[in-house]
Amino acid sequence: MPNPVIYSKEPEDFYYMDVNVPCQSACPALTNIPAYIRALYEENFGRSYEINRMANIFPGVLGRICSRPCEAKCRHGEAELGRPVNICHIKRSAADLRDRVSSSVKRIFSPTGKSVAVIGSGPAGLAAAHDLSTIGFSVTVFEALDHPGGMLRYGIPEFRLPREILATEIDQILGSGITLKTGIKVGTDVPMEDLMTGHDAVLVSTGCYEPNQLNIPGETMPGVYSGLQFMMDICAGQMPDLGKRVLVLGAGFTAFDCVRSALRLGAEEVAVCLRRTEEDLTVTEDEIFETKREGVKIHSLMVSRRIMGNGVVEGVEFMRTRPGELRPDGKSEVTPIEGSEFTLPTDAVIVATGQRPQPFDTPGDKNNHGLLQADSASFRTSLPGLYVTGDYLTGPSTVIEAVAMGRKAAERIARDLTDQPFREKVVRLEDTLITDRQRAWDFLPRQEMPTIEPVEDRFTGMTGEVETGYSPDLAETESKRCYLCYLHYEIDLNRCIYCRYCIDVAPRDCIKLVDRIETNTSGAITGFEETSNWEDVNAIVIDNTRCIRCGECMRVCPVDCISVTRVELTERMNEKGI
Amino acid sequence: MSEEHFVVIGNGPAGNQAAQTLKEKAPEARVTLISKEREGYYKPCLLPEYMAGKISEDQIYLSTVDAYKEKGIKLRSGQEVVDVKPRRREIVLDHKEVLRFDGLILAVGGRPRIPEPLLVFRDLMMTLKTLEDAKTWIEKISRVDRVLIIGGDLTSLAVTKALIALGKEVYFMLDENAFWPLRCNDDMFQDVSDRLSKRGVKTFYNCKLNSMAQRSEHAVEVRVGDDIFEAGLIGAFFGLVPNVGFLARSGLPLDRGLLVNETLNTGFEGIYATGDCAQVFHPEIRDYWVSIGHDNAKALGRTAALNLLGERRPVDVATESLFDVQGIKVNTSWWMEF
Ligand SMILES: Cc1cc2nc3c(=O)[nH]c(=O)nc-3n(C[C@H](O)[C@H](O)[C@H](O)COP(=O)(O)OP(=O)(O)OC[C@H]3O[C@@H](n4cnc5c(N)ncnc54)[C@H](O)[C@@H]3O)c2cc1C
Ligand SMILES: Cc1cc2nc3c(=O)[nH]c(=O)nc-3n(C[C@H](O)[C@H](O)[C@H](O)COP(=O)(O)OP(=O)(O)OC[C@H]3O[C@@H](n4cnc5c(N)ncnc54)[C@H](O)[C@@H]3O)c2cc1C
Ligand code: SF4
Ligand code: SF4
Repeated sequence: MPNPVIYSKEPEDFYYMDVNVPCQSACPALTNIPAYIRALYEENFGRSYEINRMANIFPGVLGRICSRPCEAKCRHGEAELGRPVNICHIKRSAADLRDRVSSSVKRIFSPTGKSVAVIGSGPAGLAAAHDLSTIGFSVTVFEALDHPGGMLRYGIPEFRLPREILATEIDQILGSGITLKTGIKVGTDVPMEDLMTGHDAVLVSTGCYEPNQLNIPGETMPGVYSGLQFMMDICAGQMPDLGKRVLVLGAGFTAFDCVRSALRLGAEEVAVCLRRTEEDLTVTEDEIFETKREGVKIHSLMVSRRIMGNGVVEGVEFMRTRPGELRPDGKSEVTPIEGSEFTLPTDAVIVATGQRPQPFDTPGDKNNHGLLQADSASFRTSLPGLYVTGDYLTGPSTVIEAVAMGRKAAERIARDLTDQPFREKVVRLEDTLITDRQRAWDFLPRQEMPTIEPVEDRFTGMTGEVETGYSPDLAETESKRCYLCYLHYEIDLNRCIYCRYCIDVAPRDCIKLVDRIETNTSGAITGFEETSNWEDVNAIVIDNTRCIRCGECMRVCPVDCISVTRVELTERMNEKGI
Repeated sequence: MSEEHFVVIGNGPAGNQAAQTLKEKAPEARVTLISKEREGYYKPCLLPEYMAGKISEDQIYLSTVDAYKEKGIKLRSGQEVVDVKPRRREIVLDHKEVLRFDGLILAVGGRPRIPEPLLVFRDLMMTLKTLEDAKTWIEKISRVDRVLIIGGDLTSLAVTKALIALGKEVYFMLDENAFWPLRCNDDMFQDVSDRLSKRGVKTFYNCKLNSMAQRSEHAVEVRVGDDIFEAGLIGAFFGLVPNVGFLARSGLPLDRGLLVNETLNTGFEGIYATGDCAQVFHPEIRDYWVSIGHDNAKALGRTAALNLLGERRPVDVATESLFDVQGIKVNTSWWMEF
């Protein structure tokens, strides 16, 4: 008989998920990471892909370029446990190894009779359009450029994201019944008012296309490029001639794509100049490593003061910086050091210091930069039926954040238009057996992603994908490393005989003798008061925030009082949905 | 009130000098010196000669366990620090013990640098930083005839000398990006190459290392330019870089090394960095520098200790001893002849 499944919406269960499956709670789209890693290990590649797609819409794309906030929180990366699981590479493997049948999610609910216009076909717009379309809304996406995808298509270079992967996943999304109209710039080619009268709701997801300036002398000289424009030109097939020496000022995805593209355009001495240090970079560790291997120098702790040259760029004058107090976001404020000016010679300067949303002609309340104002929780603007999401709302973020926000905005719009919830988060609990994971797997090293070797072979064009993908063997080995934190180990105190065998075999301080268990108002366990005095022991408990799900305790327990439950944060269609 | 507790991490010249100075100037304070290496305080510069069998292990030590006891310094060797919590004034050891401190000096030294393009071959290459590394070399060297040295830092030459003394055939691949600490130019190369050739070393200059592959337990196939050959061992010698990776989550300011001002302070009261692990801003050169060398380390160790005890001594640097290595200035007190 199958085990009974319980779906819970209790706050304590959500709290449990939040602290106990750290990778999933770090994912803005709450992707069920242990479940897809386990599916991949079981060679169920299609299912692994679908678990991803349910949450993040773009597994093949994100498996390549995601900023990977999950990996920073992975339990395997805790101080004495080694390095985090390569969660993202496993996602990519699910996409690479599944049978390549492109399939769209079909409509789940009958048509609502309502229509929504989405402006901008970046990840936020496409995710919102997909969610709305699959629950029965009629959706039209308006896109200013010739192809859909936003920054995925016009920012991220092909050597990191092959266009056929992107096209396949965009086709899957559009296949759910979305109408796409490209080459239409809303506010210029078609007035916003028309869209608002023609649809029940309009969602603005037009991203950030206004490059930040340095506001220093020399910035308009020939030989100074905007990083965003430079990348957009390359993605559109143009190949600027930069000269031999290139300095890129900036520290984000764009800066790193600029330096690596400059190398592929033939530049010989390429450096990225940071105001802070490598420690503060948000691009992934793998990307920093590959960038260095390709020969790019990373200069830290410097800020540009002026661009020098006689008609054309000849160099940049910088000042050294010093990190100061740590801010709450973990980064430190940097200050220029008086009297520390120095110059670096260069033939071209690429300014990649971020971008911001671009105002366009639209009704609704605006801020003093002319941008539509909206509430970041409800996505609503001052006008009923007009919503904002993605990077336009938050400023530059990441693809996974844009997807998550697009999806949340879609649910908000659907509820506002119908007074009904459609998708909801639930915690699914199912008793299960101990897995076949072996303790030895905890000591497997992190499997590195194979890349084009030798490095020079990467520079033969702009498009060759640098990361060549895990083989099935590598993918399996990496998937074995995951502890499967969705498993919950618990001791049944009614049967426990306090033999403490489990404590003897435990790999770390995961099983505790406690005097008192601390809970919050919702009843969730928030901590333990441990005791070493046998008289005071009131319970023996497994601290699931410390547990690495090795199963040793269960194997030695003489009275079989330890049980395992699979606890998953997942998404459910509301039965009351129309 | 309980006595003050000063902790020094690192049992190299910087750490030793710091601990000694602390105990001298503040005899009432408790001073703990922690080192992840089991071996005591020794002279790394003698490791190549030890490898060659010219001197015994006893001859490379600079201090004995009893000497620390006499000075009143508590030595904890073989204990690795895995984290520092500057605000809570705690350090975490790998066996989970948490130690509180009132003052802390980080003197964790350097680690061998391997340039990113060569990191893919990391498992096939050996380095030499510690006594334990030297013992590994000794154990392996007896089973091979030919050794390939890649790089060209100061240690590589001493190691080459040792290998020749042991009767090994040495191939030397001089890399222009090696830590020299000068950038290698044609004249220099010619000079070094001539000296090496005179001793029977085959040199490659500016050739591309195409691949390395393990062929058998004692043979790695190497492709350099158009040459293919086998080497029994491969040594990578590209200088040292500050060893601060374990501090990534600590919140201490890191760049290449631990960032400190000219009094070696990290920006946290009572927390200093010194020796090879510190990256110091110096107004005179308008830049940051890191230090390499035994004598520098000793001097810096003393300054850090005095400043922890309340002085505000700036460290000085002689501009002529600074070399630019891979975009970072290196202040070296170490030079020798081959
Ligand atoms: C070079 C570069 C590299 C990056 N690399 C990464 C990475 O590796 N990983 C990562 O997570 N993030 C990366 N990012 C950030 C990421 O791409 C963005 O955060 C994300 O694309 C934002 O999604 P969005 O849908 O809000 O906006 P966008 O992707 O910018 O999409 C907005 C869309 O709206 C369209 N549009 C704009 N105005 C109008 C209008 N008036 N009418 C009609 N259409 C309009 C645009 O043409 C565009 O297609 C990168 C960004 C850049 C620039
Ligand atoms: C083979 C070789 C030959 C050399 N020859 C010369 C020479 O001829 N002349 C010269 O001037 N210089 C020479 N040097 C360089 C010189 O040894 C260094 O510059 C000097 O030792 C630096 O001193 P230090 O105290 O800063 O660090 P180190 O001597 O590197 O000491 C660092 C200490 O920190 C400890 N440590 C590191 N991390 C941790 C941790 N996480 N937890 C606990 N402990 C930790 C280590 O165990 C070690 O005890 C040589 C170096 C080598 C490797
Ligand atoms: S071990 Fe697996 S389930 Fe646990 S945090 Fe890491 S990726 Fe997630
Ligand atoms: S499964 Fe049991 S022994 Fe293993 S880490 Fe978890 S509580 Fe500890």
